[in-house]
Amino acid sequence: MRIKRLAVAALLVLALVAVAACGGTAKNTGTQTASESGSEQGQGGKVIKVGLVTDVGGLDDHGFNELAYKGLQKAAQDLGVQVNVVQSKQQSDYIPNLTNFANQGYDLVIAVGFLMTDAVHQVAPQFPNTKFGIIDVDYNSVVTDSGQDANADKSKYANVAGTIFKTEQCGYLAGVLAGLVEKNNALPGLQGKNTVGVVGGIAIPPVDSYIAGFQQGVKAVNPDAKVLLEYANAFDNPQGGKEIALAEYAQGADIVFQVAGGTGLGVIDAAKEKHLYAIGVDADQNYLGPDNVITSAMKGVDTATYQLIKAVVDGTFKAGDFTFDLANGGVGLGVFAKSVPQDIIDQVNQAAEDIKAGKIQISAQVQK
Amino acid sequence: MTSTRATAVLVPVLSVLLSFLVGGVIVVISGHDPLAAYVALLQGAFGSVFNLANTLTVAVPLMLAGLGVAFTFRAGLFNIGAEGQYWLGSIAAAWVGYAVHGLPVWVHLPLALLAGTLAGALWAALIPGVLKAWTGAHEVITTMMMSYIAINLARYLIEGGPMMAPGYTPQSPAVLPTATLPALVPGTQLSWGLVLAVLAAVAVWFVLYRTTFGFEVRAAGLNGRAARYAGMNVARIIVLAMFVSGALAGLAGAVQTLGVNHRLFDAFNAGYGYTAIVVALLGKNNPWGVLAAAVLFGALNAGASAMQMQAGVPAHLVDVVQGMIIFFIAVDGIIRSVLRRTRKEAAQA
Repeated sequence: MRIKRLAVAALLVLALVAVAACGGTAKNTGTQTASESGSEQGQGGKVIKVGLVTDVGGLDDHGFNELAYKGLQKAAQDLGVQVNVVQSKQQSDYIPNLTNFANQGYDLVIAVGFLMTDAVHQVAPQFPNTKFGIIDVDYNSVVTDSGQDANADKSKYANVAGTIFKTEQCGYLAGVLAGLVEKNNALPGLQGKNTVGVVGGIAIPPVDSYIAGFQQGVKAVNPDAKVLLEYANAFDNPQGGKEIALAEYAQGADIVFQVAGGTGLGVIDAAKEKHLYAIGVDADQNYLGPDNVITSAMKGVDTATYQLIKAVVDGTFKAGDFTFDLANGGVGLGVFAKSVPQDIIDQVNQAAEDIKAGKIQISAQVQK
Repeated sequence: MTSTRATAVLVPVLSVLLSFLVGGVIVVISGHDPLAAYVALLQGAFGSVFNLANTLTVAVPLMLAGLGVAFTFRAGLFNIGAEGQYWLGSIAAAWVGYAVHGLPVWVHLPLALLAGTLAGALWAALIPGVLKAWTGAHEVITTMMMSYIAINLARYLIEGGPMMAPGYTPQSPAVLPTATLPALVPGTQLSWGLVLAVLAAVAVWFVLYRTTFGFEVRAAGLNGRAARYAGMNVARIIVLAMFVSGALAGLAGAVQTLGVNHRLFDAFNAGYGYTAIVVALLGKNNPWGVLAAAVLFGALNAGASAMQMQAGVPAHLVDVVQGMIIFFIAVDGIIRSVLRRTRKEAAQA
């Protein structure tokens, strides 16, 4: 018994010493950074510090977080900002991670993805001198906590910027491509029923805008084509996505556009199995099936991250939304499969020019 | 007696120290400074009131669920389904928290906590407990399977199901202020749940070591046949032990929901119920040991962010250290035998 008490006491002392010691070291590092930034100030201007907080998907998610990190690194190289990233391991980490960056005097803290809406809603008003950017969430959703805090005071969110992606535009281009392939019978092995398909994740605005654009794109070049649409009601069910895709292929679809995150990986599997075609989403997914993924409708999370940082560097950051579209390179198409004929690619590029020039208007409403 | 007690404390402590040592070697191999990494880790975990609060915030659900797992270990049962009981507790607490209106805080908050506790308790006792007691179905299988059911039930409820809040984020509506566990340290996520967790540890200690039921639980755990031969109703002990264990895991979910998350949301990757098993093992199924082990894991979690931010060490390295701890607990026989040998040598000298 006595030995146990002794051991506990010894441990407590050790712990105290350790805490005291690291408290001391922390002070040292504090002064070091201060003197460093002092010398940098001497060379002209304070170095802007940017912190990126990932959601629970982690940095290697082949999607949003990875792209945001890419944008962050580009900014570090091109803009000379000091960057840092922290990966959230669980949802309750969001608030501490955002708060930690703000506490350490970071100029801009970027939150990746709509799961962090609530956390930014809570943290941003506490740090009016820190700017907060959130990827793929609009300003209003942050202020109102996705509509749950409808009476929130906007003036407390003068340091927050949202980012919106006009994904109906890249969806439209994917539709033009699919419609033309059907019309011209331009790829090997088509079933000849002038039908394409869509597998949606969940019927929410960020998914539906892609689908709406796709429907309009197909109809614009191939009015008789049939567009099948089915939702998997999940983003993490590749098997379910595969089954829906197989059903659509069986109904005569030759190209299936997946707007379903992880579920959509099953769609690409199905395309490979049936030797038919798919269109990827969010990131360039051609590498997942170079012959079968004829292109990808991409959301430029990297561009958005970079632009948020650039706005802070340029002093143009202000509360509200940053909008990303074809014109500013925030959305677009990925790599085309080699088998896609050049004349179709030319027509898709022409459609892109027309959208940029404002000649084509695209609705974000799905036709069901 | 004193030497076994000292060993009981020394072995887990050495396991942790060894895992940090091996973790440090891995930090070096990955090209970072281990001292800077651990300083950042400690600093991030304990360096300020805010950081300490973060550590304890993570420790609270681990304490409660860990106590639950430890209780069944004492009864010779292996309740690895704390995760499911935790989620059932979260569901019940969230529902009572947002759907029941017009109650004063001193009724609403206890009611929500009780709902979570009971939900977890019944989830553990009614099916795995009863099956084990009367058919011998192994609780490792049944509690595990019940976990999957609970997690997917929670998922269904908030992903388009009846508990989903308006909008398209998969989460329930926020619990009402009358059902919210107030913050213990203002401006942090640390709630009064910490006090509940410490009280729960005292209660578990009291029940295990100062009541007849606790004696029966320990007797059944040491040798079920002997306990039965001594006239104890082992079936009843099994069901009750599962009930207590599930109640603690359910309370963990309720405290997390009412004190930290304030709603049910898609946080299944936190896995507190699974980490709780390690916490119970590291704490040697002793209530105070469980509290200490939970704080350690809370510190690892809170310090991980600081390690990334300040030392540039990937957060996954903390997972490696945690894995090492589990490894060294699993092979604690090695540490024991080394201790025994050094003692023997000391005695001979």
